[in-house]
Amino acid sequence: MQSLAKRDRIDMLLKIGRQWAIIFLVTELVFFSVMARGFLTLNAFQIIFFFGTAVFLMATAELYVIITGGIDLSVGYVMGLATIVSAKLIVAFSQSGMNSFLSILLGIIITLVIGLIPGMINGLLVSRLKVPPFIATFSMLGICHGISELLVSEKAAKNLPHLANAIGNGHFVYIVKDGGVSFFSRPEVARGVKVYEILPNVVVIAFVFIAVFAFILGRTKFGQHTYAIGGNKDAAIRSGIDVNWHLVKIYMLSSFLASLAGILYMLKYVTGKADAGASSLLDSIAAVVIGGASLYGGKGTVWRTILGGLIIAILETGLRIMGIPTFDKYIIVGVILVSAVLIDQFFPELTYKE
Amino acid sequence: MTKSSHVMIEESRVFRSIARNWALCFLLSFIVLFSLTGKGFLSVTNFQNIIHLSVIAILMASAETFVIINGGIDLSIGFIMGLSSVTAGKIIQIMSNSGNYSPVFSILIGISVALTISLLPGLLSGLLIAHFKVPPFIATLGMWGITNGIALKICKGFPVAMLPDSLTKIGNGYFFYIKPGDGISFFGLPEGVGNDQIREYFRLIPNSFIFLIVFLLILWHLLKNTKFGQHTYAIGGNQDAAIRSGINVKKHIVKIYVLSSFIAGIAGVFNIFQTGIGNFTPFGAMYELFAVAAVVIGGASLMGGKGRIIASVVGVFLIAVLENGLLISGVEPFYRFIAVGMLLILAVVIDELFPDLF
Repeated sequence: MQSLAKRDRIDMLLKIGRQWAIIFLVTELVFFSVMARGFLTLNAFQIIFFFGTAVFLMATAELYVIITGGIDLSVGYVMGLATIVSAKLIVAFSQSGMNSFLSILLGIIITLVIGLIPGMINGLLVSRLKVPPFIATFSMLGICHGISELLVSEKAAKNLPHLANAIGNGHFVYIVKDGGVSFFSRPEVARGVKVYEILPNVVVIAFVFIAVFAFILGRTKFGQHTYAIGGNKDAAIRSGIDVNWHLVKIYMLSSFLASLAGILYMLKYVTGKADAGASSLLDSIAAVVIGGASLYGGKGTVWRTILGGLIIAILETGLRIMGIPTFDKYIIVGVILVSAVLIDQFFPELTYKE
Repeated sequence: MTKSSHVMIEESRVFRSIARNWALCFLLSFIVLFSLTGKGFLSVTNFQNIIHLSVIAILMASAETFVIINGGIDLSIGFIMGLSSVTAGKIIQIMSNSGNYSPVFSILIGISVALTISLLPGLLSGLLIAHFKVPPFIATLGMWGITNGIALKICKGFPVAMLPDSLTKIGNGYFFYIKPGDGISFFGLPEGVGNDQIREYFRLIPNSFIFLIVFLLILWHLLKNTKFGQHTYAIGGNQDAAIRSGINVKKHIVKIYVLSSFIAGIAGVFNIFQTGIGNFTPFGAMYELFAVAAVVIGGASLMGGKGRIIASVVGVFLIAVLENGLLISGVEPFYRFIAVGMLLILAVVIDELFPDLF
């Protein structure tokens, strides 16, 4: 009788322990709300998401690759390349007399298509020529970096149309304090009247794509095959999955998402920069690992990865609001990263099962 | 009949040894190519320059060689180098500027503290990897963030300057200074000759070159002729077999990561001698990735069990000569990234297509 109650209690503890990432997130939120003045505001939260978009998108990309047992080091510089390519294209289109909306749209679409190329090469190298993912994607990192620098060596990617800034730094909904709602554009109000800006456009765009890719991973055959390849490649081959072609698709998807992150960066900062995503590599891999994925493949979900990304993004913004130099962020992210794996090792029953 | 088959075997052996050393052949052909296209490439000064500027990359690559042969990977070495450089710089700065200590004493203290500290990240990642089964990629990536953060905290985000001049005098000095028709002086310009006249002197054999030779000989010996080296290959080749044959694998893995992090610490100290400033490692530097690239170009496998120090050095020089040659030939320096990427893919594809070569 007593042992049954005890087992119930252990089950309960396990159930809680399995959600340690969420508990950590909540602790973080409480800590910063108490310690950092001005952290607990709508604005601060929007800033967390606004600056986190690149990491969220790239972590989702990295998740797909990591589930198949690979790694993609090139995402940061594919993102950088996309910022430059899109900015240059849009400037070229708008200078040739196209209206700004059309040139932005066209520039983005072409960039997204170009963004598939590095991934395709990565995928072909990894799947057909059996180049280890680490090496193939690092080579691609170098190549993308070189091409980006070449593109901006003569002329910086600047002078984008105003509309780009309006989209990148605009919000979805504007609420005027005295009543009245406006979508997409800031309403004309008298000075001093408060306007609440809600849902930055880039965050909305990023999360639409993240939701789509979460759906693909969780609910479609494509997602099932991805897990199958990561879990046991030989079994996947024997069960009739075209593993080589699937891997190519995975790496293309990863560089597509990285390019999207680059386009959002371009809209936000209205410029193209080769090393725009250079420092996000640690963050995006850390987000995936904190989210419970294993580098050996076969495990991980999008929403847990976003949770991992949020832990890092909140840390960064919180520390910044507290006025602590972000140097500490690197230390803390490193510690969390290692602890995440240690928890996985010591308490295998704590890792989530799905 | 027998004679011709003998010749054929001989021929195939020659072919195989060429193919096996394709990186070296590439290096030689690059040197020939750039001698033709780049004015001033083929000169003692330029070659000394290439060697002097590759020292850090060579140190990094030899650290990575040990780890990769052992079947792991160390992503933290670039930032460990920054940590060591910044630590040494800060201590030397404080001690020598306080006026109580001689520059030599403060430099010695700074170096020894930095080298001691550089053992710690390796010890930690080694323990995590060997005893707690954390994948090397993650453990050293964690250390990547931690050492970077600590280095930036120590130097507050700025390079540590105002260090004694004797640092760069040693680091950028040469063994011989020869003035044609006048005489030779060792280790420094003759008394009473200012730096403005340095161009009149022909400088031969950088100090860094001598340091490099000694360092490489030690590591080469360690890997090739000692039990430590044998165990490194054994663990990388087949960890289970290594355990069964009685090697203390866990202890050995810890030692490997400590060694790698210590070499990165030496690189940091060297950096301070070369530049006279305690530098933190910038984000885009990617020392560790270029080191991995050099090691793989040298023919090592990321699966472990394979690799040579000398081959890794050839890998570093291949990248360095390519960079230097492109620069002198007037090609945009950005092609370096592209070229390194291509080389790397080539290395692995050659390895994959002709597995019997290696």
